[in-house]
Amino acid sequence: MTTLRPVVRASRSLTLGNRERELLIKLLSYVVLSVGAFTMLVPFFWMLSTSFKDPHGIFKMPPQWIPDPFTTENYVKIWEKTDLARGFVNSMIIAVVSTAGEIFTSTLAGYAFARIRFKGRNVLFGLLLSTMMIPGVVTMIPAFILFKNLGWIDTWYPLIVPLLFGSSFAIFLCRQFFATLPEELADAGKVDGANQFQIYWSIFLPQAKPIIATLAVLGFIARWNDYLGPLIYVRSSDKYPIALMLTTLNTMYERQWTLLMAGSMIALLPIIILFVTLQRYFIESIALTGIKG
Amino acid sequence: MARYRLWPQSGLTLKQREAIWGYLFVALPMIGFVIFAAGPLIASIILSFAQWDLLRDPKWVGFDNWNTLLTLTVKHLPQEIDEATGEPLFLCARERVPQSQAREVEGQIDPRTGKAIECQPRYVRDRDVLPQGYRTALEFSLFNRRYVIGSRDPGFWEGLYNTSYMLLGIPVSMAIALLLAMALNQKIHGKSIYRMLYYLPVVLPIAATSLIWMWVYNPEFGILNYALDQLGLPSDLKWLQDRHLVKPALMIMGIWGGLGYQMLIFLAGLQGIPTQLYEAAKIDGAGMWARFRYVTWPGLTPTTFFLLVTGLIGGFQVFAQPYIMTAGGPYTASTTVVMVIWRNAFRDLQMGYASAQAWTLGVLIMAITLVNFLLARRWVYLETEGART
Repeated sequence: MTTLRPVVRASRSLTLGNRERELLIKLLSYVVLSVGAFTMLVPFFWMLSTSFKDPHGIFKMPPQWIPDPFTTENYVKIWEKTDLARGFVNSMIIAVVSTAGEIFTSTLAGYAFARIRFKGRNVLFGLLLSTMMIPGVVTMIPAFILFKNLGWIDTWYPLIVPLLFGSSFAIFLCRQFFATLPEELADAGKVDGANQFQIYWSIFLPQAKPIIATLAVLGFIARWNDYLGPLIYVRSSDKYPIALMLTTLNTMYERQWTLLMAGSMIALLPIIILFVTLQRYFIESIALTGIKG
Repeated sequence: MARYRLWPQSGLTLKQREAIWGYLFVALPMIGFVIFAAGPLIASIILSFAQWDLLRDPKWVGFDNWNTLLTLTVKHLPQEIDEATGEPLFLCARERVPQSQAREVEGQIDPRTGKAIECQPRYVRDRDVLPQGYRTALEFSLFNRRYVIGSRDPGFWEGLYNTSYMLLGIPVSMAIALLLAMALNQKIHGKSIYRMLYYLPVVLPIAATSLIWMWVYNPEFGILNYALDQLGLPSDLKWLQDRHLVKPALMIMGIWGGLGYQMLIFLAGLQGIPTQLYEAAKIDGAGMWARFRYVTWPGLTPTTFFLLVTGLIGGFQVFAQPYIMTAGGPYTASTTVVMVIWRNAFRDLQMGYASAQAWTLGVLIMAITLVNFLLARRWVYLETEGART
């Protein structure tokens, strides 16, 4: 023991105390997180600053972060002279209608899978879940042929109608949610002689506000951002959703970066607003997917 | 509420009535399952045995599509021989030089360019070794020998190669995300702000972020080259126009777009690790590394596994970013496999052949998922198992 003691003492004087070490780690964490967050934001600042420059402003070296002269001309021009506004409205309609339908069907099915006993329930649910594993690329071509035979090419139907049948992911989330609600909830309705739809509609659905909000946010964003779907099905430019409209502008106004950045900003805006105001539903949706196995 | 009753004297028991409601409620999704999932899945297998441009009637071609797509041939690519000397040929400053002379020339200064001359082995042309109808899908060297993989559809394999190359961004992104999640998983001020900032790119439309990144990558006036210049690094990079840089450029953008999601999932995983485990480890005198190695990492293996599998499934189907930013170029350097399928199906209207391609990709994705699941048993640590041992 006597031989060990000096070694221990020496090492103690060399290393930091527990508190100091924790403080150092925390400091380091702040630095890493802040530098990272700043790096993540640079492309946004770059877009935002460019969108307020005049066409010559982008050629200035070193690049200006605060535009001088500062102009809102780009926003006026892209909104009035191009069809971006139309794309904005188109996307709104597609996203709202398809998401509303998706939520109605999915909550209904999720409720049935969680709360109603019927033969084959688990088999049917398993079948639905299995579709989540099918890569979209495999069903893309037959779906196109189907919609073509229905005469739905160059309409919004291929983008909306499939969602009216619900989506496996949404049904899965709804089932998980309804399964957590207490058994007694339905009893009051059953005593009153209400049918299952009434129980779902007036008792369970009002409880499901958080999951509905989550699905609404996720669904709206998925539809707003969709690119491949509209690219395959929508042909006339007056029916383009905003994502497609934006990239069409890219070929029309090539190299006019001030305009293109203003257009991008307009396309991002609804999503940013939605995200910042409803942030907790995003976070919740991640917890809900039950990734813990 | 009694007046709402649908079948007042139907003779059905309460249970039967309930079941009918159940079937009604799940009817739409089940019909959707048949029309939009199971049906197309089977239809695309059948289609893959046909030739169909949607204008004329489909023609059955048996395994032709599959043969064209999947038959690969590997050939050795020998070095060309100089006819005069019988020595292997080299290419030095665009001139054909036999081996003995190449050794002398190499390293000398080329009077035309002012640079040192480099010599590369000159190989036989690929079409001289490949069977008719085959073109090079990939060239590679193994044990100092040059090989060429020939295919009748090299575009598909090149797309697959490009896509796989870009998948390398996933582990990089996951490592950064884990680091950030661990930094966030402390008592830190502004946690929700950080969370929001990192997650924001995940939810934004790819059409818009692609345009933003095109402008970031702009060779002359983009912010990235300017930043590199300020750091004293090479700054004349043509990110999206250079066939060696275009894939890394798309990977960087991919990391930017996926980091926040991975970070949040890791954070959820970290919060699921019981704090008692850390305390116990501390009492046992475990240092930081030991705590990470024996507590954090095993606790995170299910999360890591989940991220890896979902990342691969998504990564194999990348389409919009290269489509918007580079149209698959320069040449075919950033053409992903889904772009190849998309072109065949919707531009060239080869529905049957494109279906075979789509199924090949689909099976590959499912196989990788399956292999991951099997391997997962070896390295994924589940709490339930841990409790038993």
